[in-house]
Amino acid sequence: MRARSIISNEGSGARINVTPMIDVVMVLIVFYLLVGQLAIDRKAAIELPSSSIGIEETKEQDPIIIGITADGSLTINGNAIDSNRFAGEIAGMHTRAPGTPIRIRAHRDAPFGVVRPIMNQLRDAKISRVGLVTEQRP
Amino acid sequence: MNDSNAEHKRPRPLKQRTVLTRSSRFGPNMTPMVDVTLVILIFFMASASIAGYEWFLRAELPEVQDPDLVSSGFSLPTPMLRADLFLQNDRILIRGIGDEPRTLDVVIGQLKGMDPSATSGLILSIRAADDVPYWAIVALHDAAASMSMRVAIR
Repeated sequence: MRARSIISNEGSGARINVTPMIDVVMVLIVFYLLVGQLAIDRKAAIELPSSSIGIEETKEQDPIIIGITADGSLTINGNAIDSNRFAGEIAGMHTRAPGTPIRIRAHRDAPFGVVRPIMNQLRDAKISRVGLVTEQRP
Repeated sequence: MNDSNAEHKRPRPLKQRTVLTRSSRFGPNMTPMVDVTLVILIFFMASASIAGYEWFLRAELPEVQDPDLVSSGFSLPTPMLRADLFLQNDRILIRGIGDEPRTLDVVIGQLKGMDPSATSGLILSIRAADDVPYWAIVALHDAAASMSMRVAIR
């Protein structure tokens, strides 16, 4: 058996073996497709307000993400939840992991009357600090 | 012998390329596929970088016993500005910063014009009416945070 090389000298001229490159490129394409799809699912059609300043999420943190659409529909970590069950769910999550950061992803056009009850319920669950997720202003 | 070498080196006539080329070994021509694949890869990488990155603004949710008192999370009395947002004739007005209500743009300009050494550590306490859009609160929060102020939402 011979060791395979990238440049093959078989035949009349040297040829580059492109198979490994195609493998890598295909894997990268599949990766980007999957990440893009996951990002769309997670964002759940929420158009964020923009800000010129902010704190970037670190990879170590795995925050609880509360999504609020313009019509007041709620999600916790991408899963839809009824507003009546929200308080109990968030209090339970906070009790199980007290240090977990909370992020609010609210639609930019949502009236504050929709966002305030959520903040009040977080306050009732003894959560005194949250992050308001925004899009970086270019 | 020289004649045979010259004949051997004579350029061959151009041939039409086909996907399956008959060269030293028989197999499909991978070049078009590699071209298309690389274009797709570059497209995905570019679109991923164009999509806006997200970050967050830190906000305090103080417990409010007295509407004028922000108690939770702050161990010492901290200088505080209050901003009450409300809608009037489709305009977002802010009461509390200045003597009379001012528009959001004016207040943001006012905040950004303050001396950064004076605003550092200051708390801006935001309260808003139900019909005020969320983006207005974030815009005010953004202006305050850019002046190193802390923001509490009541």
